[in-house]
Amino acid sequence: MPKDKIIEVKNIEKNCREKKILDIDNFIVLKNKFNFIVGGNGSGKTSLLNILSLVDQNYNGELYYKGKKIDKTAENLELRRKFSVIWQDPYLYRGNVFYNIALPLKLRNRNSKIIKNKVKKVAKKIEIEALLDQSAFTLSSGEKQKVSIARALITEPEILFVDEATTNLDEESIHFFNSHFADLVTEEMTVVMVSHDRRQIKKLADYITLIHKGKVKTSKKITNFNFKLFGAGIEAPITKLV
Amino acid sequence: MGYYTDALYRALYLIFTLDSEVIQVVKTSLKLSISSTFIATIISIPLAILIARNKFRTKTFINIILNTLLSLPTVVIGIFVYALISRQGVLGELDLLFTQTGIIFGQVLLIIPLITALIRNVIFSMDEKLYKTAVSMGASRKQKFKLLLLEARYGIIGAVIAGFGRVLGEIGISMMLGGNIKGVTRTITTAMSLETNKGRFAFALALGIILLSLSFLINFVTYFLQEGKNYAKR
Repeated sequence: MPKDKIIEVKNIEKNCREKKILDIDNFIVLKNKFNFIVGGNGSGKTSLLNILSLVDQNYNGELYYKGKKIDKTAENLELRRKFSVIWQDPYLYRGNVFYNIALPLKLRNRNSKIIKNKVKKVAKKIEIEALLDQSAFTLSSGEKQKVSIARALITEPEILFVDEATTNLDEESIHFFNSHFADLVTEEMTVVMVSHDRRQIKKLADYITLIHKGKVKTSKKITNFNFKLFGAGIEAPITKLV
Repeated sequence: MGYYTDALYRALYLIFTLDSEVIQVVKTSLKLSISSTFIATIISIPLAILIARNKFRTKTFINIILNTLLSLPTVVIGIFVYALISRQGVLGELDLLFTQTGIIFGQVLLIIPLITALIRNVIFSMDEKLYKTAVSMGASRKQKFKLLLLEARYGIIGAVIAGFGRVLGEIGISMMLGGNIKGVTRTITTAMSLETNKGRFAFALALGIILLSLSFLINFVTYFLQEGKNYAKR
């Protein structure tokens, strides 16, 4: 396996109610890059992200992390703790914002002093310091998403998975996400992002994989982003590109 | 009318002077109800999670059985357990008949279906994203279970309180398996029945007022927990 691949997928199939929703021969995630997965609705992007992030281990096929095959029958706790996911519609647990952001570190049994410092630091970065004592259930969609970003970043994951994080957000929150996101992730981080947002793709993407009806249609490394690579202009909707 | 007014005064007098016989009966009732609710809860929580979170062939059948058992009369459980623990029964050698353990055994069987069904409904209605998020945050199996219990805590407490209320107010099991022995297996409900028949109406009324107050307290707590749940609802 070449050194720049951190995750590789081989011959993966996923069925849902006897219907094949994913059928991927080969797919890679490049290390320390922004990897984008794009495609139309129902193309299988989120299903693929669930498998890559080990949230879903119920599939046929092989998944490799740094060249080592992942045992899908195992709990893979150590590996899962190297990953974080930002969901499209985040779930926040009962309790205040501080509790929600601190939760991943609590699950890792970190010392409370370290947790407190890290929560404050990440909340400051994401500009939600004022919300820390507020109940998670009183937040707006934009605020919830910011909390979920903080929760995902607090563990400084090796791979950050982002599933259409801006789809349910208003323009102001999308603008915040797009303008800050690149600064929030570190250079050591690998990002796998499912997105429809052409502004995000244009700004962030290093590597794009287009998925259509559960199959990888094409994958390209992007140096100077050009939608024409996929046979359409920048104005064309993503769905048209696939 | 004067008879009942007088009985009410005497009943209140028994309560406020902390009559030792009244206290004894109430203590026995609370001890038995708390014990059986505790044991039933320990069994019901994993059972409810197992039913709500897993797919297996007999799931529909188990759910139907569970729902049927919800409306089972206490005397049916009483006679079933009586057959088990009486001298001729399979568990006859354990000498459980007319003991507190015998009553607890019956009451546990009575409320397991109730607590299990209520918790099953709570777990089943929980957002699927809760589990997905827990996995993505790096939770182990044990931690996922703990997070689930924490998220469902108001519903679980509500189910436990409903179970407690059911055993506190039941009479069939206590009467058939306990035998209404003074100071040992005499509960609020069995004592009320006996004392009314004996003509000690004020004593029975005092116990009735206490039972009603306990029921009110249970509903009061349940209501506030429910309100907490609604507040937290998105």
